[in-house]
Formats: sequence, C-alpha cells, structure tokens
Amino acid sequence: MCQGVLSLLIMEKIGGGTLVPFLEAEKISKAFDGVQALDNVSISIDAGAIHCFVGENGSGKSTLIKIIGGILRPDTGQMRINGRPFTPGRAIESIRQGIQIIYQDLALFPNLTVAENISLNQLIEKRNKLVSRKKLIQTAKKALAEIEEECDLFEKVENLSMSKRQVVAITRALTQNARLIIMDEPTSAITKAEVDHLFSVITRLKQKGIATLFVSHKLGEIFEIAENVSIIRDGVKVGDYKAEALDDRKLTFLMTGQEIVSKPYLPKGNGPSQSHLLELTNLTRKGHYQNVNLFVNQGDILGITGLIGSGRTELALSLFGLNRPDSGEIILEGKPVSIRSSREAVRLGVGYLPEDRLLQGLAIEKSIGDNILATIVGKVLTRLRLISGEQRKRIESKWIKDLDIKTPSPAMPASSLSGGNQQRVVLAKWLATDLKLFILDGPTIGIDIASKNNIHHIIRDFAHRGVGVIMISDEIPEVLQHCNRVIVMREGRIEAEIEDVQGVSEEYIFDLAAAKKVGQGM
Amino acid sequence: MISKLFQRNETYLFFVIMAFSFFVTVMNPSFLTVENMFDLVKSSSGMAILAIAFFVGLLSRGIDISFPAIAIAGQYIAVNALIAMGVDSLPLAFLISCAVGTAMGATNAFFISSFRMQALIVTLGTSNIFHGALLVFVGTRAINTGKLPHCFKAFGHMNVLTLARPDGTLYGLSVFAVLLLFVIILTWFILNHTLLGKSIYAVGGNYESAKRAGFNIKRTLFFVYGYIGFLSGIMGVMHLSLIRYSNPNYIVDTELLRVIAAVVIGGARITGGSGTLTGTLLGVIMMVILEKNLVLIGLSSYWHQFFIGLVIVLGVSITYYQSKRQNRRNLLFTD
Repeated sequence: MCQGVLSLLIMEKIGGGTLVPFLEAEKISKAFDGVQALDNVSISIDAGAIHCFVGENGSGKSTLIKIIGGILRPDTGQMRINGRPFTPGRAIESIRQGIQIIYQDLALFPNLTVAENISLNQLIEKRNKLVSRKKLIQTAKKALAEIEEECDLFEKVENLSMSKRQVVAITRALTQNARLIIMDEPTSAITKAEVDHLFSVITRLKQKGIATLFVSHKLGEIFEIAENVSIIRDGVKVGDYKAEALDDRKLTFLMTGQEIVSKPYLPKGNGPSQSHLLELTNLTRKGHYQNVNLFVNQGDILGITGLIGSGRTELALSLFGLNRPDSGEIILEGKPVSIRSSREAVRLGVGYLPEDRLLQGLAIEKSIGDNILATIVGKVLTRLRLISGEQRKRIESKWIKDLDIKTPSPAMPASSLSGGNQQRVVLAKWLATDLKLFILDGPTIGIDIASKNNIHHIIRDFAHRGVGVIMISDEIPEVLQHCNRVIVMREGRIEAEIEDVQGVSEEYIFDLAAAKKVGQGM
Repeated sequence: MISKLFQRNETYLFFVIMAFSFFVTVMNPSFLTVENMFDLVKSSSGMAILAIAFFVGLLSRGIDISFPAIAIAGQYIAVNALIAMGVDSLPLAFLISCAVGTAMGATNAFFISSFRMQALIVTLGTSNIFHGALLVFVGTRAINTGKLPHCFKAFGHMNVLTLARPDGTLYGLSVFAVLLLFVIILTWFILNHTLLGKSIYAVGGNYESAKRAGFNIKRTLFFVYGYIGFLSGIMGVMHLSLIRYSNPNYIVDTELLRVIAAVVIGGARITGGSGTLTGTLLGVIMMVILEKNLVLIGLSSYWHQFFIGLVIVLGVSITYYQSKRQNRRNLLFTD
C-alpha cells in the first residue's frame, strides 16, 4: 500500500536500501512454561525478497513464524508492516495484511478438487454464502496463471504428487493477496527435481513483488535460493547475512555452534577376496526397474541415487519383500532367496528404513520403548511367552543411551520426539536385531544438521560391524561423503556404478541421474 | 470422458443394478412394471432420506447412528401431540417431528463439537437416551390406525400421478416421491453450491486444515447433525403415513443397518470425507431391489439380515481395496 514511505526509525538493515521493509519484527521474546523459546529475536523482510530463516529443530523458528502468523502472541517485542505497527490477535488479521503461512502439512483438503482447494479460502474470507462452480474455476485458473503453473483443476488433491500439492498451496496463498509467503520447511518431503521446480515458483513470486520467507536447514538449498539469511540458534538470533557472505562450513558452524567435518567412508578390511553378501542378477520388475545387477559386501555402504521414478525406492522395496520382482535373482550370502514378505525379509536379516518414517517406520502413537522393541519382541519373552519387564527395561535404556535419544522416559510416545530423534528410534529398532543387510531410504530427510551427523555415524557403525548397507538418497553430497561405492539409477536402469567415490564431483553424478551429456573424462 | 466414467464407483454400481434387474425381470416379469416401480419408490423413500442423512454425516467424518431413534421420537411425539391437541394437521406434524429431530441433532452436535468426540460413540449413547426418554416420558403404547389422525392416512394415499390398470382400477406415484426429490435437490444444492456444503467436505477431509482456513467448524457440525435430525424427522412422519401405525419401538431396530449398508455400497468412505450423493442413491436402489427379491430367488426373509451384513462388509472391503491399490501404485505399503 505505502511501500515508498521512508522510515523515521533507525533500522538494522541487511541490504542497506532506503525502503521500509515489508515486515519487521523487533526484539520478540516468547517463553513457554518457563522455557525461553525466543529471546529478543529481530527479523526484517524486504518486499519481494527471498529470505531464508535457518536454524536447527527446536531453535525457535516455528515459534517466530506462529507469532508473525497471529497464532501466538509474543511476550515482549513489536512488529511492523510497511512501517506501521502490527499486532495480530488472530490468524485472519495476519492474512488480511498479506501474510500467508504454508505449513509443512500444507493444510489442504485431500478430498476436494484442485480448484476448490485453491479458491475456498478466498470465499471464506469474503464471507460468501454460495459457491459458484464457474467462479471457483475462474479464480483457480487466474491464480495458477499468475505463477505460470498448470494443474488439472478437477483432480482431487489426494491424487496429486507432493510437489503439485505444494503448487496448490502456494497458488491458494496468491488468491488472498499475499505479500509475504512463509514456507515452513517446504522441501522436506520432495525430491531434488521438485525442489528445483519450487525454486522457480519462488523466483516467479519475487517477480510479482511477493516476498518469501523460506524456513530450512538444508544448506545446499539455502545457497541456491536465498538472498538474505537470518540464523537462529536456541532461541537467540545469531545474525543476518547476505547469502554470498556465507559458505557451507560457516553456515553449519553458525547454525549448530559446532564444526562438523566428515571424512569419507572407507570400509574396514576391504579385501577383494570377500564373497558378496548380496548379489542381484538381472532383477526386473516391469515398469519399475529392469536388469539390475549389483552387489553389496559386508561392511559396504552402497549409495544409490537417482531422481524420483528412477526405480531406486521400488528396488529397495523388492529387497524387503514388498514389491515382488518379475524375474532375476536375489542372492543373499551365496544362496538364491525369494523374499515374499517383509516378515521373511526380517527373518533373513534384511532391515529397511522407509523414506516416510512417520507413516511406515514408526508406530508414532506408541511409546519409544515399544518402537525399539518392535523387531525383537521375541527375544524379551519369558518362558510363559510374556514380555519380561526387566529385559525390556534393560534393552530400552541401552539404546536410548547408546543412540543419545533425547527423551525423559521410554514411555513417552514416539510422536513427542523431534525428527532426528525419531529417526534414531527407528535405527535402534533395527540395531537391536542381527542385521545382515540394512537398506535405508532417505535416512536424513527432514533432519537437521547436528542430528544428521549423528545418524551418519550410526550408519557407519552398522557397516563397521559387518552389516552391508544400502543407502538411498536424493542428496548427492550425502551419498558421496558417506558411501564407499555409488550407483546412479535412471529410468529403472543402473546408469553408472562408481567403485571409488574419491574425487567424483556432484555435478557428474547429477548429470548421470538427469541424463545430461556427460563428458568421458572421469 | 468415458474412461473417467469408468473410474467411478457409481458406474459399476449402475451396471450391477441393471444386471440384477434384468435377472429379476426374467424370473418375474411383473418386476419391471411401472406399478411395481411406483410401489418401490413409495416404500423406500423414507429409507432413501435416512441414507442421505447418514451420508451427509459421513462426509463430515462422523458416523451418526442416532437417526433411527430420532426418526421414531419425532414421529411418536408428533402423533401424540396431534392427538392430545385434537388437531388434524399434517404441516403441524411435520413441524413437530422435524423440530424434535433438529433439537436432538443439535444435542449430538454439542457433544461432538465441544469435546471433539467421535460421533459414533456420542450417538451410540444419545440414541439410547433419546429412545429411552421417549419410552419413559412419552409412552410405550402403539397408536393404531383407528386412533391415527386422518391427515396421516390421507398423506399416505396421496398420489401425484395416477394411472389406470388394464382393468380400470387406479394406481399412482405417491407424493413421497416429491418429498424425496425435494430432499435430494436440497442436499445436492447445499453440498455443491454453498460454502456450508464445502465446509462439510473440508471438515471431513482435514479437520486441522479446515480450522486454519477459517471455516466455522462448530457451525458446520451443528448444521450437519441438525440436518440429520431434521431429515430423520421427515422420515418419521413418512414412515407413519406409510404403515398407518405408530409404534415407539419401530424403525429403531430395522433401519440402522439397512441404511448403513446402502450408503456403504454406494461408495461413501466409512472413514469419511469422500462419496457422492448419486452413489448413495444408487446404493439405496441396490439394497431395495436386493431385499425385495430375495424371496424371488427362493430365500426366506430371514436371509435379509444375512445379506445386509454381507453388503456392509463387501461395500467397505471394496472401498478399502481400492484405496489400498491406489496406495500401492504410489508405493505406499501401509495397511
């Protein structure tokens, strides 16, 4: 409205322009039950800027977002929009000022169509009573055109991919005259290609003068998209930086307060005489993957990377008995096996950590202890087939201690843990069994850096104990750093097998996965 | 367009109904006559209205099983009130029955919305409260045809369309059909053309999202359960006019499972949020044809119960199987 007005206040500026920032939050503090979630945090977002807000889980990011969104009220501190005081008491007041928050769960209606999802919020705000189908469609079409996106308006949202759902959520924000779109960890559930797509949408938003506050803890993404970066740690702001002024190491240090260096992984006793732990010959499942030949040795961490649809997850599921191959052989410890169910896989010593730990890896409402015991419940039975309380306690506390799971008690539900801690519970579940082969699909998705580091260590420990590990990941740096061998999949086939990851560049792998022309140089 | 049609449950159900009707007609040519169709419409309008009520509840993710108790309460209170006042007025009967129904529905809504309780649990309790209170405070004696105010009998006989048989006697399409049509159109309009209707889908699809989007959830739930009560009230009067007899123990035992079976076979997801009005109506037709013709296949009416149960289990299984297949396609292996 009055973006050109000069501010009379002396402001901490990131850029050094003379315009009033769109949103300023100054010295915001907020405590919950005596725990200081935010302590004098200030942030200032320019109109049309792409601003990254980074911090580890539990650093206070979400609290600040909720305050900006009018869902929480700060204990002290003030906010201004275009230089004018702004004290939202309810979510709708923030929305009316052009602030739109897209939460991780996107808050869409799976059972309604794309058009309805995009247009309904606007109708609520305008307090319309009737719904005209024609107008619904018009509104949706217009909003989609604004960010040059296309989507089947009549498809139900439950049938869309994650990234399409995001587009729907962003488009919905546009129908309510958004000036600032806050995205809470939007990339935690989507693949690299989808992230690129999201970034192009954000760039288009910028061209429309719409600012984005991008909440993340993924370094690569931050450098790819951000102009300004604000870092928060333990409820205190560390500082505001221009993205150019940061690099991986510096940002990691500022976020976590610790230097994290990782050495490349080398298996112990790497001798060629070993017989293969797992061997796949011409494994095929039509439409999923074809003629996959690979092997895993004890102590190997084999990385598999590739775009979504490359067949990597499909292949992993086959090894865990969930997605039966049509032809080819799975040879485990020299013997051909046919794995028809997940139970059989577990019996053979195969473990699987699914991509979606919330849905498939954990019984989220059950206690942490129950989750840890899930795979080995047979071992803690007494002679009467009852669960031995003493044994149980011993095993639970062992893993909680060994894996540094942060919880007051094993009786707490798994849902009470942060992402990193949840993943450690899933890992504990498998660690407690006698695994031979462990397949991890996206083990660090949505997990912050410090926890990630911890999880990588656990995975290495697995391998050092002689387990063969297959690690599937979108993040090429992760694969290069933590695997001793890497396989790149594309369209259901193995595109390349890299026996020695030393000196291999990320671009090289990415080009293989995306099937761009690759020079013969490597 | 055609392929999209074949992805829909309703299409399959339609063909099953056609095939079944064909089979029945071969066995008994009097099945596919206008007169028989008119009869079926009259006798099953009430059930169709209850099915619509149950369906609306399911859309909002609520399994309301109190509708039979509400229907009989509305009916019995209305007929007793009319007799006590000595008034013979059909509109007044509808007014009383629907008011009682709406009030009971609002009671359900109060508990469901205030404490976010499962509708199934709440209505399991309230349906017993409603019915128990009816028997204790209003009475237990059946009102037979002789004592029944004339307006009900007239309503039961009223036709909107009269045709003549070859022998000159008359038969017709009951006014019930008009009432049913009115309820269908009203519900269709609310669900598809009002924000209120969309809020029912929204609440059923994702409660949290609906809240954040700014829907007035409390109001939505009050509407849903009030509407279920209202429709049950209508059905109560129709039922009475059809059988010309009011027994405070009727409807309660007979309608619940038939209605659930019809809605479920119509493709509405029992866990809520998804389904169509067309599917629900086809489900009712399917159930009615099935029930009416069991005898024809040579099975005693005791088989009713068996078949209703079978249809529920089958209907739910089909819907679940489909979503499981969909999940598999997306590589989701949760059960």
